[in-house]
Amino acid sequence: MSLLEIQELRTGYGALPVLQGISFAVEEGTTAVVFGLNGAGKTTTVNCLAGLLPVWGGEIRFDGQVLSGKSPKAIVEAGLALAPEGRRVWPGLSVLKNLELGAWSRKDRGGVGATLEQVFGYFPRLDERKDQLAGTLSGGEQQMLAIGRAIMSRPRLLMIDEASLGLSPKLAQTVFEVVSQINDDGTTVIIVEQNVGVLPYADQALIMEKGTLTYDGSGAELERTGELRRTYLGEAAAS
Amino acid sequence: MSSEVLALDLVVPAVNGAIQGSVYGLLGLGIVLLYKSSRIFNFAQAEFGGVAAFVWVFFDTGKWFLPDLPTPLAVVMGVLAGVLVALLTERLVVRPLFNAPKITVVVATAGVLLLLIALEGFTYGGTAGTFPPVFSGDAYSGTAIRITNQGVAIMITLAVLSIAAALFFSRTRTGTAILAVSQEPTATRLVGISVERISSLTWALAGFLAGVAGILLAGTVGLAAPGSITGLALVPAFTAAVFGGVTSLPGALVGGIVIGIIEAEAQTNIPKEHLPGAGKVALFVALLVVLLIRPAGLLGKET
Repeated sequence: MSLLEIQELRTGYGALPVLQGISFAVEEGTTAVVFGLNGAGKTTTVNCLAGLLPVWGGEIRFDGQVLSGKSPKAIVEAGLALAPEGRRVWPGLSVLKNLELGAWSRKDRGGVGATLEQVFGYFPRLDERKDQLAGTLSGGEQQMLAIGRAIMSRPRLLMIDEASLGLSPKLAQTVFEVVSQINDDGTTVIIVEQNVGVLPYADQALIMEKGTLTYDGSGAELERTGELRRTYLGEAAAS
Repeated sequence: MSSEVLALDLVVPAVNGAIQGSVYGLLGLGIVLLYKSSRIFNFAQAEFGGVAAFVWVFFDTGKWFLPDLPTPLAVVMGVLAGVLVALLTERLVVRPLFNAPKITVVVATAGVLLLLIALEGFTYGGTAGTFPPVFSGDAYSGTAIRITNQGVAIMITLAVLSIAAALFFSRTRTGTAILAVSQEPTATRLVGISVERISSLTWALAGFLAGVAGILLAGTVGLAAPGSITGLALVPAFTAAVFGGVTSLPGALVGGIVIGIIEAEAQTNIPKEHLPGAGKVALFVALLVVLLIRPAGLLGKET
């Protein structure tokens, strides 16, 4: 049984449909990367998985448990956490308070300190700036904080939306390496990305176009096929 | 005019103004609390206190079928009424408008204010009635200055509630969650915080603060009529909040006391024949000066 199983998932905004019925599964302990152009439905997919958007149709199963229609609170308690697009840190709260609030849903209050140390291990910069207001951090640091905050809930599946958006290539690489380390430590990861630099870290690659899934295979295979080139640059570039 | 008389003309209104201003500060605290958590101004804030004052007197006098409760219990019932009416406002008016523009919610709170005044008129009648002080007697009575026990109680209440509010926001998870909701509601939902529950809690706290303030103010003035608490205290409480920078809890407290003193000094020392309603005029002038010179408020920092 896969950790995450999605069957014919449909959702949208208001009356506007976005996801047209996508199906895929993610195995425990792997890193899946979702590629696609703007408007393909990548963010909509992870927002729906996190409970921010209603499920119009289809089913989401996490570790065999049906999560479709559950509240964000129930979903984070089940073990899914999202570092959302645009970071969305609490700008007027300190880095430490941002991280502490990330553990809101946890019942094991005693274990929060250990997770905090783990986050500071992944991102030493956050430890250095733990008393600083999150709104004063740089874009890269805010991205680290958003990922760290999601880790604080001790998820089994961590979703990161646009991990490298707005970051320098070097910083993006650093973030990818840390995410790879988080995955090595046992957390399953889904990364929504437009940056193909993440491909070496992908066990599974998915490509979305206009609310549908056009590719679902291994990251290594995707590198060979030229499918990504077709997605981003069109048919001519791929041939 | 001797220097002693002049000093008394300044000291007496300063003392009275600080006491009255403490009530403004309490109401301002509620206004700031709601603004910090939802970025809306609640026009019904003072009238939550009005409802509390009426319910207190109803229980204190055993009106209709209500039991004639001892004053402390009647006060508790009044404060609970303030909390209840705030919770109902949140559930029936604010929550359905969660996704509406903020200005719509602000206008809706003005609608709640009018409804509450109408309900008070329906239950109490349109005329003013006497409201006894919760604490009778004097703490100090000199030849020129008199400080009532009610006044002392108001100052102590403001100090205790302000410290409690400051500790709540800086030391507790729930207090931090309230701040988080106002800054980034989506992220708040993502970590599993119920935005709806936090909203209810915030309005309940604002209702509690208004309830305490309304009962203390009505008892200090000695008279109240439907809508009179709003008439007396809403604009000064807003001004107190703006003085403090709208998002600062200590700012609302300091702002309330400053506003109370300015109002009382102007009322006492500017003759009515020169400037009728000098107290309120001074209040608006002070507000304008602060907005022009220090728009972020006296403290100017979110605390």
